[in-house]
Amino acid sequence: MSELTVVGKPVQRVDAEEKITGRAVYGYDLVLPNMLYGKTLFSTKAHALIKRIDTEKAKKLPGVVAVVTGEDVRWTHGESVKDKPFLAQGKVRFIGEPVAAVAAEDEDTAQAAVKLLEVEYEDLPVYTDPEEACKPGCVAIHEDFDKYRKAEFIVPGAMPNVAEHFKLRTGNVEQGFKESDLVLEERYFVPIIQHAAMEPHSAHAQFDRESGRLTIWVANDAPFRALHEITEALNMPKEKIRFINPLQGGGFGSKGGLKVEPIAVALAFHTNGRPVRVKFNREETFISTLTRHEAVVYSKTGVKKDGTLMAREMTIYWGAGAYAEKSPTVCIRGSLPAPGPYRIPHVKVDGYAVYTNKPVAGSYRGYGIPQGAWAGEQQMDEIAHRLGMDPIDIRMKNIFVEGDISYWGERLHAVGLKETLIKATEAIDYGKKSPNPKPGIKTGKGFACIQKPTRSPTTSAAGVLVNAKGEVTVLAGTVEIGQGCNTILSQVAAEELKVPMDKVRMHPLDTDVIPYDASTTSSRSTYHMGNAVRRASIHAREQIMEAARPMLEAEMREIDYADGKVFLKAQPQQALPIGEVVRRKLGINGEVRGDGSYTYEIGKDLDLETGHSDHASAFYMYATQAAEVAVDEDSGRVRVLRMSAAHDVGKAINPLNCVAQIEGGVVMGIGSALHEEMVVDPSGKVRNPSFLDYHLATSLDIPELISIVVECAEPEGPYGAKGLGEPGLAPTPAAIGNAVADAIGVRIYDLPLKPENVYWAMQKQKKKSAA
Amino acid sequence: MNRTIHFTLNGKSVTREAPTHRLLLDLLRDEIGLTGTKEGCGTGDCGACTVMLNGKPVNSCLVLSGELDGADIVTIEGLNIGPELHPVQKTFLQDGGAQCGYCTPGMLMMSKALLDENPNPTEDDIRYALSGNLCRCTGYAKIIQAVQDAAAILRNKNV
Repeated sequence: MSELTVVGKPVQRVDAEEKITGRAVYGYDLVLPNMLYGKTLFSTKAHALIKRIDTEKAKKLPGVVAVVTGEDVRWTHGESVKDKPFLAQGKVRFIGEPVAAVAAEDEDTAQAAVKLLEVEYEDLPVYTDPEEACKPGCVAIHEDFDKYRKAEFIVPGAMPNVAEHFKLRTGNVEQGFKESDLVLEERYFVPIIQHAAMEPHSAHAQFDRESGRLTIWVANDAPFRALHEITEALNMPKEKIRFINPLQGGGFGSKGGLKVEPIAVALAFHTNGRPVRVKFNREETFISTLTRHEAVVYSKTGVKKDGTLMAREMTIYWGAGAYAEKSPTVCIRGSLPAPGPYRIPHVKVDGYAVYTNKPVAGSYRGYGIPQGAWAGEQQMDEIAHRLGMDPIDIRMKNIFVEGDISYWGERLHAVGLKETLIKATEAIDYGKKSPNPKPGIKTGKGFACIQKPTRSPTTSAAGVLVNAKGEVTVLAGTVEIGQGCNTILSQVAAEELKVPMDKVRMHPLDTDVIPYDASTTSSRSTYHMGNAVRRASIHAREQIMEAARPMLEAEMREIDYADGKVFLKAQPQQALPIGEVVRRKLGINGEVRGDGSYTYEIGKDLDLETGHSDHASAFYMYATQAAEVAVDEDSGRVRVLRMSAAHDVGKAINPLNCVAQIEGGVVMGIGSALHEEMVVDPSGKVRNPSFLDYHLATSLDIPELISIVVECAEPEGPYGAKGLGEPGLAPTPAAIGNAVADAIGVRIYDLPLKPENVYWAMQKQKKKSAA
Repeated sequence: MNRTIHFTLNGKSVTREAPTHRLLLDLLRDEIGLTGTKEGCGTGDCGACTVMLNGKPVNSCLVLSGELDGADIVTIEGLNIGPELHPVQKTFLQDGGAQCGYCTPGMLMMSKALLDENPNPTEDDIRYALSGNLCRCTGYAKIIQAVQDAAAILRNKNV
């Protein structure tokens, strides 16, 4: 094909107009005919046996249609460990666990009925610290863990409450430390944070007894996985279950898996066929949906005098919360590259996903990379300082380059890391001291590098329809969660069929008609679904050319395709627009359908003993981000002045959208670096479940943002593209941490870098230097 | 307690019977069916439900129906000027001010409120004006740019 006409261009978002006029209908907006309103009763105990639930008063309230508890629905679900009941059964494991639910004629009645439910609990020991919860002698939060159905790759720990133990073993770290000139060891901590997508969670469900069909309307970013989980839990045939996706107001990892869906489904079986809507308000979303893993990271690194890395040993306790959710895979894919994007001969990593009595942790933009980077990248800087080296030089010496064999045994290709490092650091004049703006303010600079794998192997399939008007409809299971996939995938179809963007539309997402897609996660969609849509578009184009050949009375070799037309090579004016070809072949309402799918076929599972795989990820994303900060000595308040972010995206299919993803990720990362923290008290209660007390970055918190796109093409990706959804966040806290250490001369090992933490670190340092 | 209220909504007069404790947000979304105004928190902390009430931006989750008799309300559905998009809607499109779009209606209403009051806002003015409107997708930079560009369009119109 000729040069690119739409791919690589700064195309405006295709879904923006309905969003700026208020016409867009989100899951939270959806109203169904004859709908009932559902409300949930949440556990007020972090770990307790349920002695009694009294539903009689609630059932008697006029307007109440259904009241359900765990007694009514015996189903359990979970992505890799089937440990979570739809509604608590016999015991509760965190404050915020759904215990019972009500469906009523209106919201007020449902709310009143929930207040009439009575639950009697008997307390059990509460564990809120992942390091403590796996000590010998701890009570099992899941006493039946051994009996749960689990994925094959699960390796339960030998200690209590460990849902997954990931091991990486390369070389011999003890020998590596012996051969090192300097060995540093430190403990780092990353607290629980939340996705805080602006649209809270909700789900609608309807069960039609006549047809035996269950329909679920939900803004879920992995509808096919949700379908699979419901199928397994209910033991229903897949064909009887349908997921329909209304628009989704953000996700960041929070809206895959089942959250509100089980409650809506449980109610739907007790409403005589009427649909039921269950909404969580913001507080309920905070305590009952999903969080990012808190992590305790022990990192020990050995290095030669010249900066050559010799050995790195990491032990990571991932706080899973009360249910496994995606903890096993976060533990695996977050622990694997935690030692950083460096050549290290001796590596040992132990990752433990530990149950606690806290809200459930799961996937979150970055999937474990930010936690590892917070430790590893700060330690890299500390080593550089101890050796008297420039932090750039020590990284340059060890950083992954094309053809390196990683410490998990994979030969790396398309490695744009070095270029990101150079460009990101140059962009903020790293190495030049920034002037201290005023007395009492200290400035500093820092940066951090990351490498991020994607979930592999996975499959995406797509369909592309071309109608008799020459209009193109793309059927793809990638969910538009704000990341811009509808624009990217439309560009791919427009490129391959050579039609203008306004001729392409995305079909609404409905699992009854849309081909399979693994999930909208892991920054995988541009690469996997991009390939699938490209193949489906080419398939449609080939059929159109085949249909046009007799119309042009020519052989295949005599015709070509451009500008949405099939033409004779010898007489280009003899051209048939694709719509006309479809009309003449199939009639005015005819459609040509192209199909395509993509699977990263050579992806291999990790070896359970060593953590090794020669193809662990379909591709790797590389990034470096650099920060310039100002620290107020009186208050400890940190302000980020500038932040550069250089990302190797393979190929920017839409440069505007790349910048949008980078800026959004960076600012989310700034929130997590400076102020975000879900505070959970020793009783397991979240103390700040509101936007008043949980501080997201606002328009006042953002620095000058410098986004840099690096293109180190991935041969398997569509047009060379990789992915970009997650990496903008991942190195941000570590880069800021390094900049703060540069500014104040003391390192802080615990996130967030809130004023009191920074202030006391400075005071401690002052006392030390005085003594 | 139900009460009959008369108010103007996006230029049209409306008469409604509603419980006095019904939130303006719920009245708009659940009873009138205008779901462009979004609920992000219900406690006045996120700005997603911002509407214009008597010419001033308010969190509609903090206003009770009982207060609305005689009020003039403009929501996102009434932001366009006739068939034309409001300049700030155009610049949100052009500059990429919307990603998931859930905070967008509130952002747009707050931006309009700012531009109504201050046609020449500095970047700091914009940052302060929008500081009560949370966005989790964009990182705000493109939104601030869009408001600056809308101000420029409005200034050129008035010349």
